[in-house]
Amino acid sequence: MSVRILVVEDDERIRSSMRLALEGEGYDVDETESGEEALDHFAAQAADIALIDLMLPGMDGFECCRALRRQSAVPVIIVTARTDTHDVVAGLEAGADDYVTKPFVAKELGARIRALLRRARPAEDEPKTLTFGDLELLPDQGVLRRKDGEEIHCTRTEFRLLCELAANPNKVLSREQLLDRVWGYDYFGDGRLVDVHIRRLRTKVEPDPALPRHILTVRGMGYKLVP
Amino acid sequence: MAEGAEDDDPQARPAGQGRLWTRLGLRGRVALLFGLGALVLSVTMGGLSYFSARHFLLADQENGARTEAYAHAQTLDADLAPGTASPGTIAGYVDGVAQGVQSDSVLIYQGSTYDSSFQLGLGDIPASLRVLLRTGTPGTQNFTLDNAPQVAVGVPIPAEHAVYYEVFDVSDLARTLHILALALAAGGLITTVLGFALGRAASARSLRPLAGVSQAAVLVAGGQLDTRLPDASDDPDLKGLTTSFNQMVDRVRDRIEAEARFSSDVSHELRSPLTTLGASMEVLEAHADELSPRARQALVLLSQDLRRFQRMVADLLEISRTDTGSVELALEEVDAGELVRRSVAASSRLVAGEAMASQPGTLDGPAVGPEVRIDPSLAGIRLLVDKRRFERIMANLLENATFYGGGATAVSADRGPNRPDGRPTVQIAVDDHGPGVAPAERSRIFARFYRGQASGRRGAGTGTGLGLALVAEHVRLHDGRVWVEEAPEGGARFVIELPVAAHRPVAESGDVP
Repeated sequence: MSVRILVVEDDERIRSSMRLALEGEGYDVDETESGEEALDHFAAQAADIALIDLMLPGMDGFECCRALRRQSAVPVIIVTARTDTHDVVAGLEAGADDYVTKPFVAKELGARIRALLRRARPAEDEPKTLTFGDLELLPDQGVLRRKDGEEIHCTRTEFRLLCELAANPNKVLSREQLLDRVWGYDYFGDGRLVDVHIRRLRTKVEPDPALPRHILTVRGMGYKLVP
Repeated sequence: MAEGAEDDDPQARPAGQGRLWTRLGLRGRVALLFGLGALVLSVTMGGLSYFSARHFLLADQENGARTEAYAHAQTLDADLAPGTASPGTIAGYVDGVAQGVQSDSVLIYQGSTYDSSFQLGLGDIPASLRVLLRTGTPGTQNFTLDNAPQVAVGVPIPAEHAVYYEVFDVSDLARTLHILALALAAGGLITTVLGFALGRAASARSLRPLAGVSQAAVLVAGGQLDTRLPDASDDPDLKGLTTSFNQMVDRVRDRIEAEARFSSDVSHELRSPLTTLGASMEVLEAHADELSPRARQALVLLSQDLRRFQRMVADLLEISRTDTGSVELALEEVDAGELVRRSVAASSRLVAGEAMASQPGTLDGPAVGPEVRIDPSLAGIRLLVDKRRFERIMANLLENATFYGGGATAVSADRGPNRPDGRPTVQIAVDDHGPGVAPAERSRIFARFYRGQASGRRGAGTGTGLGLALVAEHVRLHDGRVWVEEAPEGGARFVIELPVAAHRPVAESGDVP
């Protein structure tokens, strides 16, 4: 089964070169040039992963990402020209799973895509059910639900991160460990990925996200999950 | 040594001249000028009053003395006219003539000298006056006797062939003048001190707005570009200053914002074509074996320069970010040894890749990094760094060693000396076995586009010219220092000194580990 990638990029030349490079890596590529077009296209033809440029005419990348997130848990990689500004954090908060910076290396982009798709299919040696608080995680089904059966929607990356934490209850996992296990990054991965995803997770699983009881920050060390 | 002294002196001297004056500060200078003005004024006024009073009093005294002496001479003339007086009688006349007047009289008559007191004789009269009198001319002369000022008046009595001298003690007048002088001097001193104090107070008062300006300037210099001086449009003297200061800050802010916008625009504008170029290049490279050898060679050249160009744009943008102060460090507390080891490993891969890409045919050689030595004393030592920027620092240093120093030989990390404030430090040294850096070039080497001995070389095997400048900027952002010295085995040694993490960073959201 080939992997379908939705590219949202207003610059036609970048779009074409991305398509050439990604097709070279063996992916099917759908090109769209605006956020609106991307949403229409996605409604007609779902993709396995979306690459969204942040600077778009009309609906910008953040809004496109949020809109896509409202209807799907599809992995999203945002493409930004600036790493230093708040763009990255804002993009992640809009629901993106990862980011790449222009000018990116197509091989690196391919590696990011593979990492996102891989972790969407969890390893087999994990236990059938992980529980904490009144929540249940079913790693092999990708389901997070309350004990009363109410399902909580989260992205695959959020789910994978929660699985890592829940599989090691009361154990501190450093940002590096989480970056490695969830995103496949090495030592120099961006810790903001972890921080923003933890924040997003807390709004979903904590009764009071401002005073977390389950997903705790261990200052100077990392994060741990307390059942 | 002598050379150094010659170099230093011409600069030191002109600076030294104005230094004392400058060091007084504006307030001190104004106060001093006020004091000097008051001093000159009081000395002039005091001097004028003293000398005119003295002149008047002395003239008055002299006139009085002369009048008295003439009157007494006339009396004696009358007394002596009969020519029958005996010496005893004459002595009586002399004693009696100036009765009631504070003076002593001396009469020379018929070869004899008669004086009215034992304290004063003819010998005490100034010789020049006696010479004058010998010619028959009357005269007056000031002199001192036993430290007391005196006025001597000589009057010839031609009818009797006699000469009459009268000496007046003017100590009282001298004392008066002395007191007057003292009073004037004291007045002058008080005026001077008051002038100084007035100058100081006035300048302090008028400089008070300046303190506000300087405070605002400090804030602006520190990057708080929203600092403004309070409106002073009702004060005609301050209006100009505050208005132009605020306008200046407005303009500086606009400039900086425009510059920041420019670099962000440049970032977008340059990165887009670079993205297209990079992605297309990778497609071409993937199909390189379908190309003819000549086309392949051209492709290698293209890809090398494209990478160089991408690096240069990235470096330029990073530098412009440091210039506009818009760098946001993603600071994390990390183990020093691990950071160095990981950075060197990652950088070596990158640098080896670039270096080998510049020599076609060696693309698949192994990436050999330099030897890394972490001192055992660094166990448990943590640094507060932006990991990826630290990795750039190491990559740039290793790249520099590769291009200019024949490759890095060793990277070592050790404890450095404590800072003056007691903060411990870590020193990370990168050694190469190149020709080293001449002492004169050691600070210039961190300047942008400085190439030194490598100038003229622009092949694929040279950096962007910004590598070391970025190292310097990033080290500075990390509150550290970087310098170059001679490596123990010759070659250059670049040393980075970073402070050990004092305490854990407090993230604004509070949920960052």
